[in-house]
Amino acid sequence: MSGKIGYAGMTHLGIVSALAATERGFAVLGYDPDAARIAALSAGALPVVEPDLPELFARRRDRIQFSADPDSLAGCDVVIVAADVPTDDGGGSDLSNIEQLLATCAARAHPEATLVVLSQVPPGFTRAHGSKSRPLHYQVETLIFGRAVERALQPERIIVGCEDPAQPLPSAYAELLASFGCPVLPMRYESAELAKISINLMLVASITAANTLAELCEAIGADWSEIAGALRLDRRIGAHAYLAPGLGLSGGNLERDLATIRRLAAETGCDARWVDAQAQNSQRRRDWALRVLHDEVLGRTADPRVAVLGLAYKADTASTKNSPALALIENLATASVRVFDPVVPASAAAHDWVVPCESALACCEGADAIVVMTPWRAFSALSPAELAARVRRRTAIDPLGALPAGPFADAGFDYFTLGAPPRRARPR
Amino acid sequence: MLHHHRAHPTLPSRTVLLGANGFVAAAIRRRLAQRGAEVLVRSAREHDLLRPGAAEDLATALRADDALVVVAAEAPCRSPEQLVRNVRLVEAVCAALVKQPVDHVVYISSDAVYADGAGPITEATCPTAPDLHGAMHRAREVMLGARAGAALAILRLSLLYGAADPHNGYGPNRFRRTAAESGRIQLFGEGEEKRDHVWIDDLAEIAVRVLERRSAGILNVATGTSSSFREVAERVAALFDSVVEITGQPRKTPITHRHFDAIAVRKAFPDFRFTPLADGLERVHREITHG
Repeated sequence: MSGKIGYAGMTHLGIVSALAATERGFAVLGYDPDAARIAALSAGALPVVEPDLPELFARRRDRIQFSADPDSLAGCDVVIVAADVPTDDGGGSDLSNIEQLLATCAARAHPEATLVVLSQVPPGFTRAHGSKSRPLHYQVETLIFGRAVERALQPERIIVGCEDPAQPLPSAYAELLASFGCPVLPMRYESAELAKISINLMLVASITAANTLAELCEAIGADWSEIAGALRLDRRIGAHAYLAPGLGLSGGNLERDLATIRRLAAETGCDARWVDAQAQNSQRRRDWALRVLHDEVLGRTADPRVAVLGLAYKADTASTKNSPALALIENLATASVRVFDPVVPASAAAHDWVVPCESALACCEGADAIVVMTPWRAFSALSPAELAARVRRRTAIDPLGALPAGPFADAGFDYFTLGAPPRRARPR
Repeated sequence: MLHHHRAHPTLPSRTVLLGANGFVAAAIRRRLAQRGAEVLVRSAREHDLLRPGAAEDLATALRADDALVVVAAEAPCRSPEQLVRNVRLVEAVCAALVKQPVDHVVYISSDAVYADGAGPITEATCPTAPDLHGAMHRAREVMLGARAGAALAILRLSLLYGAADPHNGYGPNRFRRTAAESGRIQLFGEGEEKRDHVWIDDLAEIAVRVLERRSAGILNVATGTSSSFREVAERVAALFDSVVEITGQPRKTPITHRHFDAIAVRKAFPDFRFTPLADGLERVHREITHG
């Protein structure tokens, strides 16, 4: 491989993308202005949790250098900017990080180097921040927490926003993209920026449809898991469609895109009221576990004890952005709440009523309800019989289906999951 | 959603009840008395808020550390004239609050501010005020919001039932009365419509908790469980020793249902439990038949 690729911003996105480039044979520079972060990476410590990432890092360690010196960017043919774009509670983006990092890269990279924005930015950002002398490219990222390595190594397609999509991509950048062996789709900046949001809104639409229908299943005695399998066989819906019901939108990215579409629609007078409906549905489903807890346990038990397994917003990540688990715990002030997560420290849910636990089993000791808020694989291996012996009352609230429903019902648990009617304990 | 300004429940130094003789105010007054609260009652009969000088009189009666509960209303509001009188009544309250601000204001509103078919209704549901009664409550909410601001709690009530209810509205109260008087309950259509029925004592308890926590914001007072009028009629009928006949009649209007997402009540007061409909109806029946 001829060119050296620089990644600016050793974020979750930046690290995974940089290591994916090493896997494709490129020499890579990982730049970040945070010297402590660079020192940790140079020492081999990864600051993010992601399946297969440690192995990839170990395998390609010799192809990546880390630096906190912006002048090191001068040696790169392509500089890809992957700053974090934090969101506020309303889903609004704080663009100050990316603007600052982009300015550094523009000033320090070689004048002939290609600058690429990889962070998600709102429509209009790339055109506004490029210049005649230093045009930018915008590459749509499709990072999924928990599947980031797989997605980075085997992208379905790469969407690139360009000032003029009819012009060929710069050769070093084109070589990098070609190495992934997937379609590369150049398009105008605004199309690429909106394409990213479009992907997420289609996912949100599927999630909302699944959540709406799953709630109906719970009410009328249908089972969404039976229906979803049939839908996946419909080519118009697809085998990989987002059909799993969930506890509303979390993680921050989808919420940001809803906020962006609302803002754009408000500015332009377009009709995006369905986005409001999806946000409302998300809010309602987020409280699903709290509703079940109130109906089944809190209203019936004096001095209730609740075991919450999982704090991350989903499995295989340490992120708790908009985590349903944290939202649940915040509303359990009248209960004694024991918590455990394999990765997230209990300090993420620091309340007077929260007791941190060292293991899932310890967490369930004396509980009136076990609530599995993050479907970590380890939880599916918990023994129903062992848990039955430890709890005070056998109630399993498992929204995302981490536990095997049948064995738990056999062990005397009332079992509750999204998209299906309650499964009461079988007589023993 | 409600926001509590007091971390721990403490009764206000004094609670002033406007409209103290009505069904709702009497229940709140009883519950406050049970708590040992100091209460000043100002009934609409004795203190007509529509007369000249009423705002000044009310302001004189108020103290800065009072909690003011506004229940007074000419309800149900069915005419433009009633709407205007109801708005003028709260205009006087607002004028009094300018002269003498208080520590906390609780406005007893209604779910009539929401349109039919808007469910499940939450506190975030847009109040479209589709009729005169809804428009009256919505206007009063906005007026009090302009005067009381961050110290205002708005309780939007779903359908209430209770032994002392003077209204003869379609639902548990009328069903019980007609069952007692004639041994019959007549439904519209087959009573398919579902509504969320709240026992008056549950509302009173929530109102007192709102006062104790000096809560502000909006809260729908609804159980989160809706029952059809037929189901209510059957439950009421079952309370009588004699047979109560339940009859339907040809439907004149389309079926509409009303459901609430009551999660905000649970978040605001996690240890509060609504009385299940069957238990509430039984208590009301016992209260009326045995005193």
